[in-house]
Amino acid sequence: MDCKKALQMIQNEIDGRLLPSEAAEIRRHVESCGSCATEAAAYRWVGEMLRLWTASRAGEKAPELDALWTRVRAGIDERKQPKESASWVRRWLWLPAGAALAVLVLLFYPSDVSRAPFHPSSFEVAVEDLESDTATVALVDKGNDLPRVIWIIENDKT
Amino acid sequence: MTRPEPRPGLVLPAIAFLVILLATGVAEAAPPGSVVVDIGVVVASNQGTSIDPALSALRTKLQSMFNYSSYKMLDRMKRTLAVGETGEFVLPGGRSMRVTPVPAPGTKVRLAVQLLEGGRNLLTTTLGLSRGGMVLVGGPPYPSGVMILLISAE
Repeated sequence: MDCKKALQMIQNEIDGRLLPSEAAEIRRHVESCGSCATEAAAYRWVGEMLRLWTASRAGEKAPELDALWTRVRAGIDERKQPKESASWVRRWLWLPAGAALAVLVLLFYPSDVSRAPFHPSSFEVAVEDLESDTATVALVDKGNDLPRVIWIIENDKT
Repeated sequence: MTRPEPRPGLVLPAIAFLVILLATGVAEAAPPGSVVVDIGVVVASNQGTSIDPALSALRTKLQSMFNYSSYKMLDRMKRTLAVGETGEFVLPGGRSMRVTPVPAPGTKVRLAVQLLEGGRNLLTTTLGLSRGGMVLVGGPPYPSGVMILLISAE
């Protein structure tokens, strides 16, 4: 490997972005080449300085970062609040909706119940008298489970 | 601990059901000393095989009593009558029915019933029923079959 190619790859090797075989090749070259070793040392020193500076700045800015995080958390809580409120509204929305439906049912329930099904509770009937001026009438009794029928026969029809 | 959420999916139909029950009860409850007379005018025929939904609870009984394949409810009339008060119900085919509740013991209902066709008296009878009971009066011809009157009292 020549120095030109090695210098292009030293930073990547320091950052750990090379394949193991490529990193080993660079390290071998740096060990055997003084100028490249100097360059590599300079790169490492700059990297170390940057890390120290960043850590120092972070320490200085820690109170501000804490305050920023507090504001962010407060913002998140504020945004959560309307959601919870909306959920509460959604949870109890059925109550007025149910009341409205009840009113509608009361208003529009057919008062003449013309189509309501018949549900007789009993078919027990006492027929006290049975008369007709023009027809023959008969009381049909087929048992307790069936309705009693008064059948009118006019002119031998039906 | 979180509070269990109510289940609107069940509560809402329950409320609606209760309201319907209440409305039905209010509509049908008879004031003391009076009778709610409910008349259903049914045409039984052999034209088709349909049975009116209002007669669904009586389907098997009608089929076991009569030889008709179709039962259609033409009209339904309901009237609250005091004892001694006569209610006149207009029926198809120029017929009419007069119903008068008469004094009855206990929870029974007695109805004096007169069925008229033109000026002719087709039927005069007095019926004693339990409240909620039903009796049928049938036979008068109707163009497509025969007329059957369902008479019930509450």
